[in-house]
Amino acid sequence: MTGRESGNRFVMPAVLLLFFITVYPVFYVLYLSFHRRLLIFDISEFVLFENYLFLARDDRFWNAFSNTMYFTLMSVSLELFLGLCIAVLLNRTFMLKGLVRAVVLIPWAIPTVVSAKMWEWIYNTDFGLLNFLLGMKINWLGSTFWAMNAAILMDVWKTTPFVVILLTAGLQVIPRELYHAARIDGAGNWAVFRTITLPLLKPVILVVLIFRTLDAFRVFDAVYVLTGGGPANTTETLSIYAYKVLFQTLQFGYGSALSVIVFICTACISLFYIKILSRGAR
Amino acid sequence: MKKIVSILLMLSLFHALAGCTDEDRAANTVTVLVFKHGKIAGDPEKFAQIIRTFESQNPGISVRDEILPASTDEQHQFYVVNLEGKSADFDVLSMDVVWVQEFARAGWLRDVSYLFTGDDKSAFFPGPMQAVTYSGKMYAVPWYIDAGLLYYRKDLLQKYGFSPPETWEELVSTAGYIISRERDLYGFIWQGKQYEGLVCNVLEYFWGNGGDVLEDSRVVIDSPENIHALGFMRDLIVTSRVTPELVTTAIEEPTRHIFGNGKALFMRNWPYAWNIFEREGSPVRGKVGVGLLPSFRKGMSASTLGGWQLGINKYSKHPEAAEKLIRFLTSAEVQKTMALSIGYKPSRKSLYADKDLQREQPFIAALHEVFMKARPRPVSPYYMMMTQVMQPEFSAALSGIKSPADALESARKQIEHILGGER
Repeated sequence: MTGRESGNRFVMPAVLLLFFITVYPVFYVLYLSFHRRLLIFDISEFVLFENYLFLARDDRFWNAFSNTMYFTLMSVSLELFLGLCIAVLLNRTFMLKGLVRAVVLIPWAIPTVVSAKMWEWIYNTDFGLLNFLLGMKINWLGSTFWAMNAAILMDVWKTTPFVVILLTAGLQVIPRELYHAARIDGAGNWAVFRTITLPLLKPVILVVLIFRTLDAFRVFDAVYVLTGGGPANTTETLSIYAYKVLFQTLQFGYGSALSVIVFICTACISLFYIKILSRGAR
Repeated sequence: MKKIVSILLMLSLFHALAGCTDEDRAANTVTVLVFKHGKIAGDPEKFAQIIRTFESQNPGISVRDEILPASTDEQHQFYVVNLEGKSADFDVLSMDVVWVQEFARAGWLRDVSYLFTGDDKSAFFPGPMQAVTYSGKMYAVPWYIDAGLLYYRKDLLQKYGFSPPETWEELVSTAGYIISRERDLYGFIWQGKQYEGLVCNVLEYFWGNGGDVLEDSRVVIDSPENIHALGFMRDLIVTSRVTPELVTTAIEEPTRHIFGNGKALFMRNWPYAWNIFEREGSPVRGKVGVGLLPSFRKGMSASTLGGWQLGINKYSKHPEAAEKLIRFLTSAEVQKTMALSIGYKPSRKSLYADKDLQREQPFIAALHEVFMKARPRPVSPYYMMMTQVMQPEFSAALSGIKSPADALESARKQIEHILGGER
């Protein structure tokens, strides 16, 4: 028995397990998506691409799709920008550095549903902290303009710490000598940041982007708790729409088609980033 | 030290094993019924007592009541996943009033018609009976009932010499008059977030104007009556401004808080809020009145029916025992106990004339007329799909994205599409 063969044998249980809990469900969803399947009416018939064709002219799907894109774009870019600023600041030496780092993490440590409930009260028109501080009466979650942006703000508040932690880790492995050398050559703060910090941080930034884009694209709990998709579906994301179709109206075929689309989109996003990442590595 | 610990461990292990065998032996003679339901309000001991009474009256049956997550969406999901998988893990289930049709159509519930003859059936309020009857057969038994109410501030109405409004127009003029003279007071608040409660609210305006969603199997949701009713709701926010814009995000609890802090004159809500207002220390204690919701024409008031029904899992292995439990829990006697100790509103009409109940819970006894007029949401196995169409369309009309006519026309087309699935 060569070393390689015995290795395969050890890996088998894990591979089988993964097969049953990830590969099999993925293919089952794909299989379901080719069916018209209504649980309560005991209807299950093979319709091939009919669900997907319906999807293409389903206004609610396109609305959810553009909401999801907007959410992803806004929240990820804000999180990256803020996260980068905070990480660079935290990387300096100052008093109570450890404590501040811990405090920054708090929003990330709170379960999403809990923080969404918290923000629901913060956004409350009458009792909300935000309106109290601003001295205004804005109907944050009820206005078609503000609702989505309010959800984005909550997500930024919650996930920026995650970005900060990853970026801080990336900053710490940049050799100090490079900074010293740059300083001796007379480089200013901005030049140091642009020519040393940013290029060396690039791999970490890409990892952050992958994680955050995928998470944001599948966003469910934060928005669902805050607005339930309202008002008038202006905050309905793809995951929320899929959830409603699957578990509230029990249309398993169409719901699966929606899920497959989410899956394909996230797969494309991952491939895109991985391509950039591998190019950077070369 | 280590020795002691290991001895203790051994002992506890023995104990556990002994416990197991006891239970196994018991299981041979005792039928264990599993009863799934949402959390029972208030002190859990009171409901446990009721279950113990059942067990002592029915030796040989033991009931394990298992509580489901608080959100009704999650409960629905739990039932669907398990019943679709033909699970026999639970025998009796409590269902929201809008699920019975769907579950009955799916064939997940036992027909319980034969438990009740004609007279027994008419002992229950008509609304819930309609909701549990699918193609002529009963698939669940109404357990307790709920309906939309109008809460008002007695003291303020008296101060300005108004009586509680019977029509929506009266409500608007009364509220308009009073809020222009009081500081920090909203006129009328209700639930307008995009969720199931919004549908409950809107239907009350439809019915109060003679409209409806389905007429036999025709979709009549975009009737002129309904367009007017939905437009009226939008006008409450933007034209007469007796309703603050915040209702478009409000569910029950925020509105209850606002009213409970004395910051609103009128509120539409379910009966549960009453006990909270009458608690000691409540700013509105003794100042709150309740009544039928207004309507557009006098005497057309209608509330949306809520409440829970008990049914039997089709795959249950103990249907006879389950029937006994349902009979017991929906009996006049137990409903009375539950009304007195927990505050749940009986689904049997006769109890509202009960002397004890009238004395101990005068508020519940006074709800008889409201419950008689309570109407179920469209009784259809397709309801869960229909509501997914109505929620965003109603929300769009209230937030001004669409005109009421456009929203309702679009809703009609979508509902027709859904109903077209079977016909």
